[in-house]
Amino acid sequence: MTNGAMKKQSLVERLQYIDRRIIFAFIAVAVIVPLLIGAQLKEKTTPIVQAMFDNVEGLPEGSRVLLSYDYGPTTAPEIQPMVDAMVRHCAERKCKMYMMAVWATGHNLTGETIEGVLRPDFPDLEYGVDFINLGYKAGNQGLIRLILVDFKTMYSTDANNIAIDDFPMMENITSLRNFDLIVSFGGGFPGIKEWIQFAGDPGNIPIGGGCTAVGAPNLYPYYPSQLVGLLGGAKGAAEYENALIIAYPKYEDYPMAGMSLMVSQTVAHIVIIFFIVFGNVLYFILRARGMTKEGLGGVR
Amino acid sequence: MKHKLRFAAVLLFLPLIFSPLLAQEGEEMQDGLLAEMQIEPPPQAVITVAEDMPNDGGHKLTVRWEFPKEFTSSVVRFEVYRAYSPDGEFVLRGESPNDFYEYLDIGDREEESPNYMPNDSSYYYKIVAVGTEGVSSESEVGGPYKTYGQWFHTGKVPLLIAVILFCIFTIYFVLSAKGGKELYIRPLAGIEAVDEAIGRATEMGKPILYVLGIGTAAEIATIASFTILGRVAKKVAEYQTSLIVPCYEPIVMSVAQDIVRSAYLEAGRPDQYDEDSVFFVTNAQFAYVAGVNGIMVRDLPATNFYLGYFAAESLLLAETGNAIGAIQIAGTDQVSQLPFFVVACDYTLIGEELYAASAYLGRDPLLLGSLKAEDWAKGILMVLMVLIILAVLLGWDAPREWIRVNL
Amino acid sequence: MTRRQLATYIFFGVVVILFAISVALKGFFVTFGAFLTLAIFSFLYDDNPYYKFAEHLFVGVSAAYWMCMGFWGTMVPNLFGRLYPPMVGPVIPALKDNPSDPFMLIPLILGIMLLMRLSSKAGWISRWALAFVVGTTAGLNLVRYLRSDFIQQISSTAMPLYVTNSAGFSLGETISNIVIFIGVMCGLIYFFFSKEHKGAFGAGARAGVIVLMITFGASFGYTVMARISLLVGRMQYLLDSWLGMIG
Repeated sequence: MTNGAMKKQSLVERLQYIDRRIIFAFIAVAVIVPLLIGAQLKEKTTPIVQAMFDNVEGLPEGSRVLLSYDYGPTTAPEIQPMVDAMVRHCAERKCKMYMMAVWATGHNLTGETIEGVLRPDFPDLEYGVDFINLGYKAGNQGLIRLILVDFKTMYSTDANNIAIDDFPMMENITSLRNFDLIVSFGGGFPGIKEWIQFAGDPGNIPIGGGCTAVGAPNLYPYYPSQLVGLLGGAKGAAEYENALIIAYPKYEDYPMAGMSLMVSQTVAHIVIIFFIVFGNVLYFILRARGMTKEGLGGVR
Repeated sequence: MKHKLRFAAVLLFLPLIFSPLLAQEGEEMQDGLLAEMQIEPPPQAVITVAEDMPNDGGHKLTVRWEFPKEFTSSVVRFEVYRAYSPDGEFVLRGESPNDFYEYLDIGDREEESPNYMPNDSSYYYKIVAVGTEGVSSESEVGGPYKTYGQWFHTGKVPLLIAVILFCIFTIYFVLSAKGGKELYIRPLAGIEAVDEAIGRATEMGKPILYVLGIGTAAEIATIASFTILGRVAKKVAEYQTSLIVPCYEPIVMSVAQDIVRSAYLEAGRPDQYDEDSVFFVTNAQFAYVAGVNGIMVRDLPATNFYLGYFAAESLLLAETGNAIGAIQIAGTDQVSQLPFFVVACDYTLIGEELYAASAYLGRDPLLLGSLKAEDWAKGILMVLMVLIILAVLLGWDAPREWIRVNL
Repeated sequence: MTRRQLATYIFFGVVVILFAISVALKGFFVTFGAFLTLAIFSFLYDDNPYYKFAEHLFVGVSAAYWMCMGFWGTMVPNLFGRLYPPMVGPVIPALKDNPSDPFMLIPLILGIMLLMRLSSKAGWISRWALAFVVGTTAGLNLVRYLRSDFIQQISSTAMPLYVTNSAGFSLGETISNIVIFIGVMCGLIYFFFSKEHKGAFGAGARAGVIVLMITFGASFGYTVMARISLLVGRMQYLLDSWLGMIG
């Protein structure tokens, strides 16, 4: 074997066992550059997201929508854009919004929506009349089961400890059956699945969901008979925002969190796909030369 | 008399004489009066029935009425009023669109609710057809109509059948297994590889690493993993290889210690059991991963088992194991973690296979019986689906509706 | 002092000064959030004390947060507030006039029984409360799972294999329904343990494995998407909220 061949061979081998930190650096650049450019990427709305949108769009004025914040700050970058888009949509439809949380960490995130979307963009909406923050209660699926039959047993006050009967929008709310739509955001446990099992199916209440991308594949089987629609990850959020822009063109130039997330997301995906293909090509080259080792991974 | 007549005639004609003037002064008022005179109220609706809603606690009534279709355009909506007696106070319950002659009156079961609708009570209804210009017509009072609570929800019959069948299967198979009946379970690739993997470790003179996951001792996946650990420990004792079991939970650790000790005893080598082979690492998820990965890199085990409940640490563990060149056998019921194990391990027990493996190795009647019951449930499910699909293909849609749980 | 040590000290000095400027400009919490994010990211290079500090802080804070939320959101209003409402009057005035509910003594007793686990002698008492929790949950779940994940799923899977709509024959929906049906059947065959995978049954099981692997592939892809989203979210925080470099 010549020296040149030795050199070439070692290069392929070195590339096959590339330091993972180099890949991290590529991903970092792929994420940061689009963010600095500040572009937005429109996503064509898929039927499952469109179904969710159409369901909200079809709600008459004054309909009651329960929004359950079943997530925490760790997954907020994925979930918050879809919550914001849906709350904006509900506000446009003049629905009454009831915010609650089955996750303790969801409690504070309701404030993000109220201060970030409702107060600045819908100043006419009044707390206790058009929207309310019911806060977090422990009990997981047990809580859902209980409020299906008796809402006020668990929710005697709102999140700020004000008696629930002091709010006009809480009149005639006795159980989950009084809601026209329940939307759970999260996808973990307890989450959309528990809302289907303990409220949607037994109470015959329409359930919608917005979940992390990790949780999406496990929830697709419930659509369309048990879930009216599902928003999966940042892409789901961007698709919902696209549907919102089509229906309400005033949001055309509005900064949408999901859409701006999708630019970095797409570039990072391209980088990952490149490395997958690159790694496989190198693997096959090495295999053709009979140089692969059993049990050795590509990245160290 | 003549004067009186003349006076009356003048009075009668006065408005006519001054009409142009009046028209100029109050044109709008007159127009309104004239319009009101021309608009007729829509015809009355006729209440036909108010039926009790089936399969509920007796707090709902469906009111139906008739209305001449040709007058639909003259009506904006129907308002539904309800009272406890024919001459009592009628309260507005809701509205129905002008072309829909039905309203589901839903009450609450709580006495303190303003919307309370007691069970087993009589109600009277009145329908008001609201016309286009605000004129409306009331129907005759209909009633009395009664609400009834049902003891049995007929819509849940499929569910009841499923629960009964599943319970019968489980009890029957558990009893059969206890009675010593041989229940067949097919061999699983992952389990067959266990012996081979232990043999490989023995040949190489390297230890075997067994990770029980981060679940509690009550987790089904952890319980299944305990059974497999017993089998692995026995083989290890027979082959005189060393075993490392780092634990995440103190209770899991004490159970695992008992299992490994008994396995060595069973293999006839109690003296070779090392107390320190099963030990507690930490209760913090990623710190545990760091600890186990450290053990892997230092001790270079030939075989790694990851069986039990796993979360985000699955890939971190399996990737390190892969990098040191160990044979890896994994299994978990956490669907979201399975892809990571599948890509990084040699054998993966997917979901229920973990329980099956545990039943296969342990031959515990409870596990075997439950597994068999599940198989039967799956068998029925497959047959049902094929039959329903065939029925649907033949244009008969009813079976699909039969199995639907109507709530 | 070696050159390497000197360089390290200079580096730390610069970092401290930069963070001090950031605190002055952006406030303590935004800066601290950015510091913690960078501390966690530093693990990508190698394990280090900053990462450990951030990780332990996160574990401790989240445990305490859940505990506080559980106490103030559930124990106080739903247990003490119903057992003896005047007790919570000073914290939640809205509840002080509510009637007392003696039935709440049952969850209180069960709760105390659970805490007995902490005692080595009376630990067995906790098993009774645990048995109650496990039994109730199993009972509730049996019915719910059979309904939502078994019976309802049969009717969702048993879709027409030849779909026609207003426009005539729908090829897309037909293929979709066939794929769902075959996928479910093959998956079930794979998880059928009472029969060996041989012949036609074995072929079904092999198809089941393929379906499972495709599902895992999709799941893997979704996981990558989720993780990148979280990374983008953190980057947005660093670049926008902290450094103000976006828009």
